[in-house]
Amino acid sequence: MSLAAPPQSGSTSVSPTARRLWRGGRGILLIALLVVAGAVVTVLFGGAQQGGKPLDPDGTSLSGARGLAQLLRARDVRVVRVTSVAEARTAVPEATGGPAAATLLLGDTSFLTEDEARQLTTLPADRLLVGEATHLDVLAPGVTVNGPARSRSREPECALPAAIRAGSAYMGGVALTGPSGAIGCYPADGGSTLVSARDGERTVTVVGDGEFMTNLRLAEDGNAALAMNLAGAHPMLIWLVAPESVPQAAGEASLYELIPDGVKWAVVQVGVAVFLLALWRGRRLGPVVAERLPVVVRAAETVEGRARLYRARRARDRAAAALRGGFADRVTPRLGLPSAAGPDATVNAIAERTGQAAARVGTALYGPPPADEAGLVALAAFLDMLERQVGES
Amino acid sequence: MALTGRAALLALLGTLVVLFAPRPGLAVAGVALLIVALVTVDLLLAGSVRPLRFTRSGDRLVRLGESATVELIVENPGSRRARGVLRDSWPPSAGATPRHLPLDVPPGERRRLVTTLSPTRRGDREAVTVTVRTLGPMGIAARQGSHSVPWSVRVLPPFLSRKHLPAKLSRLRELEGQHPSMVRGQGTEFDSLREYVVGDDVRSIDWRATARRNDVVVRTWRPERDRRVLIVLDTGRTSAGRVGTAPIPLAGETPRRSGPYGGAAIVPGWPRLDWSMDAALLLAALASRAGDRVDFLAYDRTVRAWLPGAHRTELLSSLVNSMAPIEAELIEADPAGMVAAVMTRARRRCLVVVLTDLNSASLEEGLLPVLPQLSSRHLVLLAAVSDPQVAAMAAGRGTSELVYNAAAAEHQNADRRRITTRLRRQGVEVVDASPERIAPALADAYLALKAAGRL
Repeated sequence: MSLAAPPQSGSTSVSPTARRLWRGGRGILLIALLVVAGAVVTVLFGGAQQGGKPLDPDGTSLSGARGLAQLLRARDVRVVRVTSVAEARTAVPEATGGPAAATLLLGDTSFLTEDEARQLTTLPADRLLVGEATHLDVLAPGVTVNGPARSRSREPECALPAAIRAGSAYMGGVALTGPSGAIGCYPADGGSTLVSARDGERTVTVVGDGEFMTNLRLAEDGNAALAMNLAGAHPMLIWLVAPESVPQAAGEASLYELIPDGVKWAVVQVGVAVFLLALWRGRRLGPVVAERLPVVVRAAETVEGRARLYRARRARDRAAAALRGGFADRVTPRLGLPSAAGPDATVNAIAERTGQAAARVGTALYGPPPADEAGLVALAAFLDMLERQVGES
Repeated sequence: MALTGRAALLALLGTLVVLFAPRPGLAVAGVALLIVALVTVDLLLAGSVRPLRFTRSGDRLVRLGESATVELIVENPGSRRARGVLRDSWPPSAGATPRHLPLDVPPGERRRLVTTLSPTRRGDREAVTVTVRTLGPMGIAARQGSHSVPWSVRVLPPFLSRKHLPAKLSRLRELEGQHPSMVRGQGTEFDSLREYVVGDDVRSIDWRATARRNDVVVRTWRPERDRRVLIVLDTGRTSAGRVGTAPIPLAGETPRRSGPYGGAAIVPGWPRLDWSMDAALLLAALASRAGDRVDFLAYDRTVRAWLPGAHRTELLSSLVNSMAPIEAELIEADPAGMVAAVMTRARRRCLVVVLTDLNSASLEEGLLPVLPQLSSRHLVLLAAVSDPQVAAMAAGRGTSELVYNAAAAEHQNADRRRITTRLRRQGVEVVDASPERIAPALADAYLALKAAGRL
C-alpha cells in the first residue's frame, strides 16, 4: 500500500475517511504511546517514591531518612518503624526497671495527645527527640526552648562522647537549655542545639533540628556519625513516625464523611452528564464560514476629523474663515456681484439689501476672528441671518 | 460522529440510579458502559453520510434586495434511511435561510431541499459545503460528514434608479419629436420631411419643399444618434466611503446612535461605488434607448472591467453582470492610467462619463494634469456623489461644537466648489449630487448635452 487510494469517482465528500485519519494521526499516536510507555517504565523501575514525610526511615526523598536506617541496620541495630503509641509499646521488649534496651526516636510528635506522650515516658527506652518536639515538658522534663537558631555546621564544644566522636555537624533549629546536670552541645546563641539530660533511669536527648539525619545531609560533616551514635546507642531503635492520617475519635466525623457514598458517585455521574452535554453542544454542524467583507468607512469621517481638530486646537480663525468663505460663495452670486468683487463692494451690497449697518456686516465678513467660542457661535448665527435676509429681499 | 442531547439526558438519569444503587461506584461504570454501548449501536445503525449524492439547481442570478432559491437534491444510494439534519453552508452575506434543514431520505430515494438566499451585498456568493448529520434509530448518536457541492449565485446591483427611467425616456421622446403632444422635435439633426398637421410648429415649415409640392411640408428633427458614451467607474479608495442611507440593509449593520449631529442615528450608508453604479445603469439604459453606443470601463490602477459596445437588447444584463463582482479597492486610483486606458479604447470622439469623487487632493494631483489630453478628443462629464452628512453638518448651529463641525463641512464644500470651477474652466461638465439624486441628475445632464447637440 504505497499508493494513496484514488478518490472515489462521483463522491463529493470532503470529510476525512478513517484511513486518512489513521494515516494522518498515526505519527502523533506513536509519539504519544512512546511517551506513556516511557512514563510507565520510569515509574515501575524507579522504585517506590515513598514518604514525602520528613524523617521517615522508609523515606527515599531528600527529607527522608532511609539512608540512616540502612546504616543502622548494617550495624545490627533493629530499626522498628511504628506509627502509634500502641505499636511502640508492643515493640519495646518488656524489661521494666532495668537499664534501657532500646532507643525511642521521636520526630514529629504533634499528633500525640498528652496522655500518649506520658505513656511513652513509661517505656523502658532512652528517648531521642528530634526537631521541634511538642509535649517537651512531658517527654524531656526540664529542657526548655530559648529561641530559634540558624541551621549550619557547628562544633560540639561539649563533653558528650557521641558528639565528640562525631565532630562538627549540621545543627540548629532551636536553642535549648537543659536542667542542671544536663550536657549541652553544639552551642548556638542563647543555648545549645543538642541537650542530653537524665530523666530518672532514662537518657533523654533533645536535638533542635533533625536535618542532619536526612538523606540530604547525612553525608556531610560528622552528621552520619552523630546520628548513628545517638540513634544506634542500643541494639533496638523504635522509630515513631506520624501516621498517614490521624485517626478521628468516634462521633467527630467530618461532614464529608457523613455524606453517603451514593451522593459522591452521583456527583461524578453528573460530571459525566455535563461532559456529554458539552460534546453535544460543542459539535458544530459544518465549518465556520469566513468571508472577505468590504471595508465599512463613512465618507464623512474626514470631515468629522477636521472638525475635531478645529475643536481641539480652538481654531476659531480657521473656522470663521471657512464659514465666511462659504457664506461669500453662496451670497455673492445672488447679489449679482462678480466673484472677484472687492470687500467694500460686497459689504455695501449686503448692507443695502438687508438693511444692516455696513460696519457690522464688514466686521462679520472681514473682521478679526472671534475672541471666544460664544463669538464664533454668534458669528455663525449672524451670517445665517444675513443669508436669509439676502434670500428674502 | 456527534452526540445528541439524549446521551446527556441518559447520563443525567443515570445519576438517579447511582444515587440509590447499593454499590454506586459500580453503577457509575455500568451507566457509562451502557451509554457507550448504546452510542456504538446507534452509530452502526445510522444512515451513512459518505455515499450520499447531491445535485444542485436553481437561480444563478439575483438582484440585490430580492431573494433567490437554490435547490439541493439529496440522493441516498445506501441501504439505510438517512434521517437527521442538513446544513447548506453559505457565506453570511448570502443570507441563507433556513440554517438547518430536516432531512429524511429512505434508501434508494431522493429528496429536494430548498434554501432561500436573501443577499445583503453585491458580488458572487459561493456555496461552501453541505454538512449532513444522520441520527441513529435511538437518536442518541449521529454520523456527520461534509460534501462539497459547488454552486455560485451572482448578486447584481439593484438598479434602484430604474424608477426614474420612464420620466427620462419621455423627456427623450420629447427631444426626438415623437411625443404624443406633437411638439416639434428639439433635436439638432435633420430627420425627414412630412406633411403638416394641425398643431405643428409653424416655424418648422420647410417653405422650399412646400413650394415644390401642393402640400405644406414641415421638417422634423431628431437628436443626434449613434454617438458613443463611455462610462468610466473609478473603483479606487475614494469610492469605498459610505454615504447616504443604504436602501438595502447591510448584514450585521445596525444604526448606531452617536455622532455630533444632535444625537441623530448614523446609518452606515452605501459605498459611493454602488451609488455610482446605480447612476451608470440609468445613464446606460437611457443612452441605449437614445440610440447611442455605450461602453463601460471600471478602473483604479488597472482595468477591473471592460464591456465594449454591447447590443442594446442585452446591454443592461451584461452591464449588471460585469458590475456585480466589482468592489472598491483600498488603493489610490491612477488617473493617468485611466486616461491612457480610455484613449486606447475610444479612438473616436465620445462622451466620457467619469464617476468618481470630487476629492480635491486626488483630483488635483491625479486627474487635472492629464485632463487636457482627454478633453481635447472627448467630451468629459465628471459625476460625483456628495455626502448628505456633510450637508447636514454644514447646517449645524447653536453650540461651538456644531459650529466647528459646520466650519469643517464648509471647508470641504469650498474645496469641492473650487475643484468644480477648475474643471468647468477646462471644459469638463460636472454633476455633483446627493446619493438619491445622482442618477436622475446624471441622466438630466446627458439629456441636456444631447439636446444641445454636443455629443
